Amino acid sequence: MKPTVNVLYLPGTNCQEETVRAFAEVGAEPRMRFAADLLAGTDRLDDADILCIPGGFSFGDHLGGGAVAAALLRSHLADQFEAARSRPLLGICNGFQIAVRGGCFGKVGLKVNTAGTFRNEENQRHVVETGNDSPWLAGLAGQTLTFPCAHGEGRFDPGSETEGYRVALRYEKGTNPDGSFDDIAGITSADGLSFGLMDHPERAMDRETRLAFFENGVRAVR
Amino acid sequence: MIHKFSVRSAGVAEPDIRELGRSWGLEDLEVWRDYYVEFESAPDAAALGQVAAVLGDQLDVEVTLDAPLDAGAVQVAYKRGVVDNESDSIVTVCGLLGVKAKAGKVATSYKSAAPQLRDLIVTSRFNSTIEELHVEEPHYDTLVPQGHYDPAEQYDLRGLSDDELAQLGTAGGRNLSLVQMKHVQHVQNTLNDEFVTDVLLEALDARWSDHCAHTTWKSLGSLLGRLIQAAKDVDNPNVLSMFHDNAGVWDFYDGHAIAIKAETHNGPSAISGYFGQLTKLGGVLRDILGTGLSADPIGSFEYTAVGEPEAPAPIKGRPDARRLAGETIRAIKEYGNTFGVPMMSSRMTFHPAYRAKPFALGGSIGLLPVEAAQRGTPRPGDFVVLIGGLTGNEGIHGASASSAGAVMDTTAVQIGAPLEQVKFRKALIELREAGCMSALTDVGGAGLNSAVGEIGEACGVWINTALVPLKTAALPMWRILLSESQERMLLAVPPEHQARAKQILDRHMVRSTVIGRFADTGRYHVFHAPDLTEEKLIAADPFSVPAHQGELGFDVAYDLLDLEVERVEVGAPPRPQGAPEWPELDAKQLADLLEQVVSDAEVASQHYADSQYDSTVQGNTWYGPHYGTEQPVRTAYWAGTPVDGSPAAAVLNTAFNPWMFDADPVAATRQMFCAAIAGQVLAGVAVKDVCMCDNFYTPHLSENWREWLVGMVDELAGLVRHFGVPLISGKDSSAGSVHTDEGLVSVPPAVFLSALGKVPHRDGLLREQWTAQGNVLVQVGLRTSSPVGTVAARKLGLPDGGLDDLELSEVDSYLTALAGSRELLLSGARIGAGGVAATLAQGVLASGIGVRLENATTESLFAEHRIGAVVEVAPADVAKLPAELNPVVLGTLDGTGIVLDGTDLFTPAARDGWLNSFTARIA
Repeated sequence: MKPTVNVLYLPGTNCQEETVRAFAEVGAEPRMRFAADLLAGTDRLDDADILCIPGGFSFGDHLGGGAVAAALLRSHLADQFEAARSRPLLGICNGFQIAVRGGCFGKVGLKVNTAGTFRNEENQRHVVETGNDSPWLAGLAGQTLTFPCAHGEGRFDPGSETEGYRVALRYEKGTNPDGSFDDIAGITSADGLSFGLMDHPERAMDRETRLAFFENGVRAVR
Repeated sequence: MIHKFSVRSAGVAEPDIRELGRSWGLEDLEVWRDYYVEFESAPDAAALGQVAAVLGDQLDVEVTLDAPLDAGAVQVAYKRGVVDNESDSIVTVCGLLGVKAKAGKVATSYKSAAPQLRDLIVTSRFNSTIEELHVEEPHYDTLVPQGHYDPAEQYDLRGLSDDELAQLGTAGGRNLSLVQMKHVQHVQNTLNDEFVTDVLLEALDARWSDHCAHTTWKSLGSLLGRLIQAAKDVDNPNVLSMFHDNAGVWDFYDGHAIAIKAETHNGPSAISGYFGQLTKLGGVLRDILGTGLSADPIGSFEYTAVGEPEAPAPIKGRPDARRLAGETIRAIKEYGNTFGVPMMSSRMTFHPAYRAKPFALGGSIGLLPVEAAQRGTPRPGDFVVLIGGLTGNEGIHGASASSAGAVMDTTAVQIGAPLEQVKFRKALIELREAGCMSALTDVGGAGLNSAVGEIGEACGVWINTALVPLKTAALPMWRILLSESQERMLLAVPPEHQARAKQILDRHMVRSTVIGRFADTGRYHVFHAPDLTEEKLIAADPFSVPAHQGELGFDVAYDLLDLEVERVEVGAPPRPQGAPEWPELDAKQLADLLEQVVSDAEVASQHYADSQYDSTVQGNTWYGPHYGTEQPVRTAYWAGTPVDGSPAAAVLNTAFNPWMFDADPVAATRQMFCAAIAGQVLAGVAVKDVCMCDNFYTPHLSENWREWLVGMVDELAGLVRHFGVPLISGKDSSAGSVHTDEGLVSVPPAVFLSALGKVPHRDGLLREQWTAQGNVLVQVGLRTSSPVGTVAARKLGLPDGGLDDLELSEVDSYLTALAGSRELLLSGARIGAGGVAATLAQGVLASGIGVRLENATTESLFAEHRIGAVVEVAPADVAKLPAELNPVVLGTLDGTGIVLDGTDLFTPAARDGWLNSFTARIA
């Protein structure tokens, strides 16, 4: 049996295909979960080994990146989202914003970039944090991975939160594209199961880089 | 019941607000958002608290309820009837929370103690055409855009004099000529009707506009036909579809095809850079979606020319060039990024001829199966299904006013809402795969009238405008028909697939409505019958027009709608002769000139803009739009691998230089066409695998404009035949002259060319980055040494003159030699704006490697040899380069600068100018 991955597809999601492709490349069985089907009760969010919330502009980023989607998760799908969080969860870019607003990492924030606008960097360099034993990061500690950055609301702000998250990766020194606190480019939940990052490994042209996190996530549920 | 939620930072202002405050010199500046929500009934405090919690779901944000506008604050909001994109989402959120809302409105408020706040906002953050400004709390009775249904006006044209016909033709913002009105009179006589309606007049005004009917091009002797005939004569087997669908379609590999289209949105962009540019990209993406049985966009490109940023707008009340530039970037960012299509190429030009009406070009390419590449044909009995956004009172007369060069007003500006389009994008692909559509088209210029009228022409069609979902409470029939509300598509759905189609669309949360049927009548039939519901329509006999038709708009046989255009004969255009000489400059002067040239917007980094556009979404970007390990330098082409698991790449490049078209539009057309092909061949594409898309933007009131237009078209047709490179798609905008407060301003007669090529394997593509010190840089290609149209000539103030003539046989020889020498080339960069010097400077910036020049003159450095390149070759291979390449050794890769006789021409000031000058002029 292939590990299953539910890929949440909301109005405005636009990175679902490369995300599905990446999970398929590492031997998982990704399947799209449409918001309409979830609301109608014909599909569930929590019936897979992994939940992935891909990038895009869910609900047009109206009212703030991920705000409407998170309201949906917290209102109509709260039980299913809670259940999914007890297994590996990956949030990329807008998916990360949704996961943050959904409460996966304590009370942290992702704010408008320091430049006040969207930032596209084709070859953004990231260093994987050492000391984080999240399954998503297995074997990658200390490595520098280059993959695209493309976001407007990615400035990580931990506020006063210290317990709800752990650092997963940082922008290489001097290359912080969004003004994130302490160059933090991605975090995991305290238990390591949820992993969120603003940038896009699924878009990398280099196969090894593209699949590194996805392979880890799928390996963890095999 | 309307409530107001003000959302603002609780502590220190966010960085972007602080930066705005610094740039305005207002250290105490506060900026916040006001959300107005109209609830269906009075919500309780708990419900209001829930809504506030979602709106304030961010660190360090506070929400206040129903607080009136602070004294000293200034609020900017869209005018009534201009629909906020966010209003739907506000209503959605309320629905999720179990609080029913029916409309929303978003405003931005600014506060400072400084008295100049209002003026600063008015000059840089406010567009009076579409926005309103408040210094006191506004009072709203309702947030739902209002409107009402008026019965159709009736006109009996029989017996009207020419003067009366002409007056009626231009009444109410129409642009119907006397000749056209006489044809309407003929229609009435033929139908033997007592009257015609305003619905028919408006429909024909749009149908016969230059935008829809290409009357200018027809009047000059079937100009489009000349380009099509040239492409047919070439008979390139890669052509799957050209000029008869929303985009041209080019064969790719393994059963896949690529659609290409570019179009302009010049008129709306002059009024609102933001909405004009937003909808240009949305419109062209919709063209791709509406090609064949639907293509999926895989890349977009854009080009914008505005006036000099330092100059005021030539029409009082219009946004100036700096404002247009900023709004352009914001619009391209918001639409392209939200839609999820990678930006392949973007560029902005500052040229005074575009100060009254910018050149706002957007393009896209899309992937589709070969078997879905042909335009579909609706069958009688198929449903007419409208999907996507609501129809509002916007974009009215957009097509005819922009065509006529007429003054456009608020309602001519379309409002873009990318979210709607993202939703139906993948739904359309699913519908295609499920065989649910027999045809489709986008709803763009001239609205439903154009979409229904064109797609129905194959057999006949009737629609009930009362079924069209509206943004407003109601609208007159003609406004429903003419509205250019964005993000809508029209589908022909066979009855047996209607339920499945509805299911797919519902799953993607796409609004869809059956509004009529295709019929075996050969007639275009529009009526307004509120009691003919969608359910009744679906259940009715598929082959009968409903007996009850409410109010008739018109019911006319298609062959009566055709109008012959009077032919205008023109002679050959006047061709300028001679060219000024390049001055001799010493090394110091060359360095000074290099600084000026690389600081010009045509050469300088536009990273400030480019870095706001997502270029990697979809994960298929193989090369471009930037290269460079040290600095991101714009690539000369983009390549992507759109088919899963395949290394086959699509290659896109563009060619346009308005200063050359200023000088000699015909010679410029030849150079641009050859430059685009040469760029493709340098990248690694075979000439036979290249096609192009043309976008003409020409004046209609300047001297010899007709002669130049015909001359450019004939030149293009000749080039197509010579190279076997067909034009498969294009668009003409022939209203580039504007009467302004400064007098008549006309754009140069010009054509923008976009070239699409393909290679079976991406690894064969040649990159631009220099690879190693010690290698030799060689200039190859034809010499176009005239200073005319070059960046350096403008900096030196050289006089006008003619462009170089190109011998096409020499171009052939060069391209053949280039294709045959590829194994010798380690890298290669096209020579473009700024000449060899700019190519070298960008090579240095990208790689961090310098070049030691053997010798140089003003001409050798700054002439723009556009059908040429700077290639990197191993020292041992220099002698192997064939003579047909015209190779000339420039120098050796060495050090970190551009060194001539011991002097580094590439000074720190020049590097700084390249990096920062564009930003300094617009940001």
